[in-house]
Amino acid sequence: MNNISFIHDKFAEFYKENASMIKPPSNISKREFGFFTFKENVVIRHKSFLNVEDLRNYVKQLVPSHAYYSAAYYEMPEESMEKKGWLGADLYFDIDADHIPTKCRKIHDTWTCKKCGFQGRGVAPNECPICGGKGFEERKWPCEICLESAKYEAMKLLDFLIDDFGFSPHEIQVSFSGHRGYHIHVENEKIRELDSSARKEIVDYITGTGLDPAYHGLQGTPHGRRVTSGPDMDEPGWRGRIARGTHEFLLSATKEDLEELGLRKKIINEIISRREEILKSWEKEGPWSLIRGAGVEAWKRIIRKAIESQSARIDTVVTTDIHRLIRLPNTLHGKTGWLKIPLSANEIEEFDPLSSAIAFKKGEVTIYVKEAPEFRIGEETFGPYRDIKVELPMAAAIFLLCKDAAEVAD
Amino acid sequence: MTLTREDIAKYPFLTDAAEEVRRVNLEIQNLDNPEVESIVKRAAERIREALENNPPRVSYREREEDIEIPSFPVAIIMAAASGNNYIKRRYALGEAIRAYNLLIEEERDKILEVAETFNWRIRRVKDTIGDRRFDFAISFIDYLRNTRPFHEDRFKLVNKPLLKGEVYLTKREVARLLREEVRRRIEDKLNMEIRLELPEKLLNHIEEIKKKYAGDSEKRIFETPKGTFHEAFPPCISQLFSAAKSGQHISHLGRFTLTSFLLNIGMKIPDIVDIFRSSSDFNERLTRYQVEHIAGSRGSGTKYIPPSCETLKTHGLCPGSETCGNVKHPLASYRRRIRIFKKESQDNISGHE
Ligand SMILES: [Zn+2]
Ligand SMILES: [Zn+2]
Repeated sequence: MNNISFIHDKFAEFYKENASMIKPPSNISKREFGFFTFKENVVIRHKSFLNVEDLRNYVKQLVPSHAYYSAAYYEMPEESMEKKGWLGADLYFDIDADHIPTKCRKIHDTWTCKKCGFQGRGVAPNECPICGGKGFEERKWPCEICLESAKYEAMKLLDFLIDDFGFSPHEIQVSFSGHRGYHIHVENEKIRELDSSARKEIVDYITGTGLDPAYHGLQGTPHGRRVTSGPDMDEPGWRGRIARGTHEFLLSATKEDLEELGLRKKIINEIISRREEILKSWEKEGPWSLIRGAGVEAWKRIIRKAIESQSARIDTVVTTDIHRLIRLPNTLHGKTGWLKIPLSANEIEEFDPLSSAIAFKKGEVTIYVKEAPEFRIGEETFGPYRDIKVELPMAAAIFLLCKDAAEVAD
Repeated sequence: MTLTREDIAKYPFLTDAAEEVRRVNLEIQNLDNPEVESIVKRAAERIREALENNPPRVSYREREEDIEIPSFPVAIIMAAASGNNYIKRRYALGEAIRAYNLLIEEERDKILEVAETFNWRIRRVKDTIGDRRFDFAISFIDYLRNTRPFHEDRFKLVNKPLLKGEVYLTKREVARLLREEVRRRIEDKLNMEIRLELPEKLLNHIEEIKKKYAGDSEKRIFETPKGTFHEAFPPCISQLFSAAKSGQHISHLGRFTLTSFLLNIGMKIPDIVDIFRSSSDFNERLTRYQVEHIAGSRGSGTKYIPPSCETLKTHGLCPGSETCGNVKHPLASYRRRIRIFKKESQDNISGHE
């Protein structure tokens, strides 16, 4: 039996029993829906449904590998893009481990040169070191460390949305994406009509793009030779973030970290030799005027590190795209066989995607695994595997099959 | 808000304009009336002031309410009837700057009243953040709507104090945002279809203004020179260009930026398709389709222009370069570079001047 029809049949069984779990978006009749199918691997777009029953029945019958709905509201969702009549869109954020440079990616992500078949680890290079080919098949792995760092970014984003933008937690829907990240969905009448350029400003705020510390309290002498004052850790918004991020960075920065910023030797020595003093200074007015030789430009370089750690790594394209399609909550992700799981803002810290997003809880199946790093499903850990035939619980088997890391054994 | 006659003379856009226009229209039919004549004269002058001053600026005549007030709706009718976008835009901006200059002289409560007439979610505060004092807190949504065309770094949301959904602003900054609200409202009014029988005399005024100023707009447009000057590509484009040529993976937005840029500087569709040829997953039909779509020869028929520098920064496509100077758009950067490049190459020709 081939992989795709096996996965398809399992997805079909799942939807037969669980289609009623599918969580519809608000204003369902004003949304566009889109689906990927297993068999022909085609995209079906511009679908619309009058009510949730129609949607659930459709999914049950089609058995899609991926199911999406639009963040946007349209007058006529079934029309072509130009004729739909855009009425507004919810505010969407996508956090994906793809945008986070975790160290473990070098271990579990692999790429294969399409031309010569050469394999490597981590992020695919620009060209194949063997044949110079430029096309690669990439396989990304949702490991625990990557999932944790995505969660951390999502929590930073929630702080921005609640503390800075003033959204109340009940307007915010967090979801585990079903693969390597989290989606955050803000539904609020007032933000619906924001155009793409307003959303871009929101993105820039959250990523710290275009931030100039001079507008957040960093003050110096007229020619910037010396800094006279800077923001405090308990201040709101970016002021506090700059101070906290700077504190954190100076707490542990090595000589190499500081050299990388292009700081002068004298400043680096000051920072390293007076670390205690610098840390203590936060109790009063901070270290801004403490480090001899560090002017406005040097501090701005240090603050760049603070911005990097305090900003949230979101996919900038998703948020600014006012026609975006978003995965439907409580549907299966075709690359993992896991569910997109909605949760509330205060549940995220305790949330364990590797238990909660598991859809297939019954049965075992024997598969032939080509290669897989160690992974966990629920309480159980599997692998690593290489060229081996194993009997696995359904969830673990489907995961490897969806990842194209295994084949169903006869 | 209870408006005094003086308030209305200062901020004539606060009253129900449709009503006002209807009323005034009855009066301008009667142009022989000397009082009406001076209103029309002032109306024409308002437009002239906007076109002659740089930046455009309409004056305020103190204690002349009887003329200041009705001349505004008449000027609106005239500017709209000109049918000329340059005149309309300059006039709207001129009136907005007039309002701004008056607003910064007002008490804070008056500014609050004006903002509230526009349904802004705004309140007075006396808060200090760091060592700066702020006068107002305004919903970030109203803030974004009214800073949309601003490009100064200090107006970027990321450079403003934002707390619980409110942006903290000084009085002067709120006046600046109000200026934008006024400009937009007047421009919207000017773009409304008006079907009025205008008296001959009024039409003459309009013709005169058009004859004198409408040409100004054309001088400002700089034609992109023919041909492709690779040396003049801004850094973002040359990066994408060489990545495409060497078959490296380029994001969707990157492909869009490169393609729309090349189309806008006049490169032909087949030449652009060729650039993507070395990509390992090159598909001639699909690439051609995408390029044609961006060129506007398919689908909606919209011809796309490349994203602005700001947008490219947001999506990590701007390599950041001192050499771009103060430009806001890759096409502008390209034109600027060509000018410099041409000048330099002329300088290099010995004996040239
Ligand atoms: Zn190769
Ligand atoms: Zn990982």
